[in-house]
Amino acid sequence: MIPLSSYLIVGAILFVLGMIGFLTRRNMILMFLCAEMMLQGVAINLVAFARHHGNLHGQVFTLFIITVAACEAALALALILMLYRTKKSLDVSLWQELREPGQEAILDLDEPVPELPREEPLPHLTPSGIAPPQKREDSYV
Amino acid sequence: MGDVLQFLAHWNLLLPLVLAAVGIWLLLPRPRNRAIVWGALCALAALILAGVFWVRWENAVSPEVVLFYAFSGMAILGGVALIAQKNPARAAVSFAVVVVNVCGLFLLQAAPFLMAASIIIYAGAIIVTFLFVLMLAQQQGFSSADDRSREPFLASFAGFVLLGSFLFVLDRTFPDPKHFSEFLDHLELAAQQRTVTEIKATLGDKDEVLNRLQREVRRYRGTEEGIKLQQGLDDLTAEWNARDPSEKEFQNALATIVDAGRKIEERNGRGNVPAANVAALGRTLFSDYLLAVELGGTLLLVATIGAIAIAHRRMERPA
Repeated sequence: MIPLSSYLIVGAILFVLGMIGFLTRRNMILMFLCAEMMLQGVAINLVAFARHHGNLHGQVFTLFIITVAACEAALALALILMLYRTKKSLDVSLWQELREPGQEAILDLDEPVPELPREEPLPHLTPSGIAPPQKREDSYV
Repeated sequence: MGDVLQFLAHWNLLLPLVLAAVGIWLLLPRPRNRAIVWGALCALAALILAGVFWVRWENAVSPEVVLFYAFSGMAILGGVALIAQKNPARAAVSFAVVVVNVCGLFLLQAAPFLMAASIIIYAGAIIVTFLFVLMLAQQQGFSSADDRSREPFLASFAGFVLLGSFLFVLDRTFPDPKHFSEFLDHLELAAQQRTVTEIKATLGDKDEVLNRLQREVRRYRGTEEGIKLQQGLDDLTAEWNARDPSEKEFQNALATIVDAGRKIEERNGRGNVPAANVAALGRTLFSDYLLAVELGGTLLLVATIGAIAIAHRRMERPA
């Protein structure tokens, strides 16, 4: 038999992993997935407590968590899409002009991202000869 | 100095934590010098040690134990992959792995409806929507956002300090069930003594025993056994403080406590959840939580309208 505390430990580990991911990752979508993982950790706790107390209130709470998470996902994805259209990137650091006054900006000075090997552009052939006369279309439908 | 030694005495709590923090720190994405192999080894060792040191179960290996280890291990591995993955699409897939395994844990705890709902909503709908957005926001190669992590050392340090404090509190709140069993044996032995002085001598220090019982009562408050335990404790306290205690009453009080304690042990801290999960869940939802259900429905509607309003691309009219 697995006691309650073991389930609580698994929930705590998932919560903390989600928190670390939320703090470190800079891709907005990944940050959001990490927040969802924190919610999963909480859901494990609630279901374990429901089993422990022998009633269904914890499971109902989890159901409401799922509902709110679905709303949150819809809104967050719409927001992320708008932010992406404005900056053409998912990097959340590009929005740091929204930070509080007195905060230092975060600059990526130390480790430059290595350049990807550029693909050689395909050779461009110069047209030879005279281009055949083309009939102009009268109308473009 | 003594404090430090006392702190280090919890080495079976600390060792997996430190290993996991180092592993996660090594695994978090960075442009250069990312020691994936070492990080993965550290994280795996931490996971195995945590499974050995932290999880308690009765001596017999049952299918439940095997399934618990499998599901929770896979869920945690998926979580690590989610935060360590450079490619966001792969990270979304590892989130799906986390969700599926958490659903397995739900099933182990008698919540089949929640399992189905989570798989359909999370692993089905939300992940697919995320992948759609990822495809819409197609990026050329690696971007500096996916390739870097912000303050990986500080974040993993803070995260595992938080986890350590969680575990410490859990360890304090849920002591090993073996201790409780030994305590009950002790009480039973005392109940078999003949005279009051012998009983008191076997029980030992008065405050210690009563405080211990008080703690157990608080833990099982609200349950049937908890009420019985409270009764036994009240009787025992009254007898202990009485001028002329009778051994009969003493033995009765102890017997009540031991009886309730054995029942708690049998139940092993789990109540009986109704077998017809969906029916019972529906009854609870539409009786106790009716207002919350209505609010949840309204919230979904508002969120849908809001999402459409935000994401709608307004056509700019020619001036």
